[in-house]
Amino acid sequence: MRLITNLFIGASVAGLLAGCKAGGDYQGLEYAPNMYHSVAYEPLSQITDKDAGTFTNALDNGRGEFYNSNQYNPYNMNMRLPVAHTVRRNAYGWTPYRGTNDSTGLRLANKLVNPFEASPAVLEQGKVLFETYCKHCHGAKGGGDGKVAQGVKIDGVDHSMYPGVANLRGDAYKNITEGHIFHVITYGKGLMGAHGSQVSEEDRWKIAKYVKELQKN
Amino acid sequence: MMNEKISGLLKFHLLALLVLSSFISFSQDISKDAAVIKAGEDLFNGNCKSCHRVKQKLVGPALAGVYDRAPSIDWIKGWVRNSAKVIASGDKYGVALYNEYNKSQMTAFTSYTDDQIMSILAYVKAEADKPDAPAPGTQVAGGNAGGQSGIPSQYLDVILGGMFLILVLMLVILALITTALKKYLNEKKELSEEDREVVNSPYTVGSVVRSPGFIFIVVFVVAAISFKTVIDGLYSIGIQQGYQPKQPIAFSHKLHAGAYEINCKYCHTGAMKGKQANIPSPNICMNCHSQIKQESPEIQKIYAAIGYDVKTASYTGKQKPIEWVRIHNLPDLAYFNHSQHVNVGGIECQTCHGPIEEMEVVKQYSLLTMGWCIDCHRKTNVNNEGNAYYDKLMQVHQASNGKNSKMKVEDIGGLECSKCHY
Repeated sequence: MRLITNLFIGASVAGLLAGCKAGGDYQGLEYAPNMYHSVAYEPLSQITDKDAGTFTNALDNGRGEFYNSNQYNPYNMNMRLPVAHTVRRNAYGWTPYRGTNDSTGLRLANKLVNPFEASPAVLEQGKVLFETYCKHCHGAKGGGDGKVAQGVKIDGVDHSMYPGVANLRGDAYKNITEGHIFHVITYGKGLMGAHGSQVSEEDRWKIAKYVKELQKN
Repeated sequence: MMNEKISGLLKFHLLALLVLSSFISFSQDISKDAAVIKAGEDLFNGNCKSCHRVKQKLVGPALAGVYDRAPSIDWIKGWVRNSAKVIASGDKYGVALYNEYNKSQMTAFTSYTDDQIMSILAYVKAEADKPDAPAPGTQVAGGNAGGQSGIPSQYLDVILGGMFLILVLMLVILALITTALKKYLNEKKELSEEDREVVNSPYTVGSVVRSPGFIFIVVFVVAAISFKTVIDGLYSIGIQQGYQPKQPIAFSHKLHAGAYEINCKYCHTGAMKGKQANIPSPNICMNCHSQIKQESPEIQKIYAAIGYDVKTASYTGKQKPIEWVRIHNLPDLAYFNHSQHVNVGGIECQTCHGPIEEMEVVKQYSLLTMGWCIDCHRKTNVNNEGNAYYDKLMQVHQASNGKNSKMKVEDIGGLECSKCHY
């Protein structure tokens, strides 16, 4: 009989421990959790609950150990926007592109000169960047035939295609300048969104170089 | 005399009518020749399709019927070749069109010949005259029905449970029958000695269950399973592998990264540049979703967060952050940098994050334990090709480890404690 009791206790311990495993909305059991959670502001894992982790409290500020948010920011966010009127400069010392987002800006951009030469290294980088940021709409060769432009089908259900994707190899775009491409990546045009926040200026110029190379053949 | 006059007038009128009708019915000039239509189709798909559809308004107007509604075919030719010139000349129809489409200028196709433009019109007319295809909505519905064929899994569970119940019931009934039969046979006096032995066999259920052999087997099996569960449970403490929280917006990586083949780094722009791969900001969503799927309740959540009014296509300024749930929580005691691995090391996102492009809801795929990190640092070769920085290091490494020995991450300090813990 003692054997059976022991067996039962063992099995229940095992069952309890099985509950430690993470899955679904449950993060799983942590060992020594106060070493897991950042004391400093952690930008992408904000915890707004002031009582989170009180059971393991080592601080005497009345807040839970896991509390991690900045009460002086809007929505207690840990991240802040850059200070107004500050300007980012890149490794080349460039200040941000100042061309305006209108037809005048586009006309002036046509005359801009690409600061990069069409060296094999720049074209290779341009290709990688094009495939990261452009390919899914404009297609690997710029033919406007990316998966997003064509639409897809999953499990028999049609998913919409994005209209208005330019065929960069078409006659309409044969004569556009690299400055034009740079401007359009920055602000978008027609149905294309603005990509200035995603693609840095030097990367935009490299993509422009590569697009002109694509148009050649 | 009079008759001649009348006939002359009639001739004049007929001529006038003929000239007039040729003006009115200029759409008759559009060819119906299959070769011309094919040429037009190629031109249309290559150059016009990005802004125009035949029956649907896009960036520019739907082209069906343009040959009837525009002032003249010549006007269309002039517009296609250089619409800016037409607008600048103060042409009433052109200026109205320009204003109607938010002053977006049509690209000038200066090199197009008359024949090319006519072939495009021929294609447009051929397409416009085709009967309407079934609406896309019905197609989607049909697809849905196709996807749900076969028995859903919850029904399978119910069927299995029912079958199990029936089995148990049958066992109980069988046991009842045997006891009843046994009782009946024992009460009968005319059974022979042999038959009596068969009926009252010493191997009853009770005697088997109490036998040491049976007890040993049961104890062994239960103990082994418990032991395995205990060990597995202990190893899962502090590990969040499999964590799959519900996100505030049901974004599908399977659709975006998988089917549409959008590169991970298109949205997670930080992966190449810094410590964090970053949660994409909603302006990246808006690159597409300012135009498509506007009616979806999930997309409406993005609009609510950034204060976007779909009807006026403008921002209200009322913003509220989207509270995404972080899935990969590396302990604070360890340092990890994305750009170091993705940009410098050239590692694919899937190496650590698993087949994200197949996940409807993302879960933590890897262990993210120290052993898991170290294992990879021991196995991975350093790519030193075309990098002069490593030349001397490689010489020293190969001098002490043999000529063809590859440099692993551990050889350049990948196992140093202070690389990740400080």
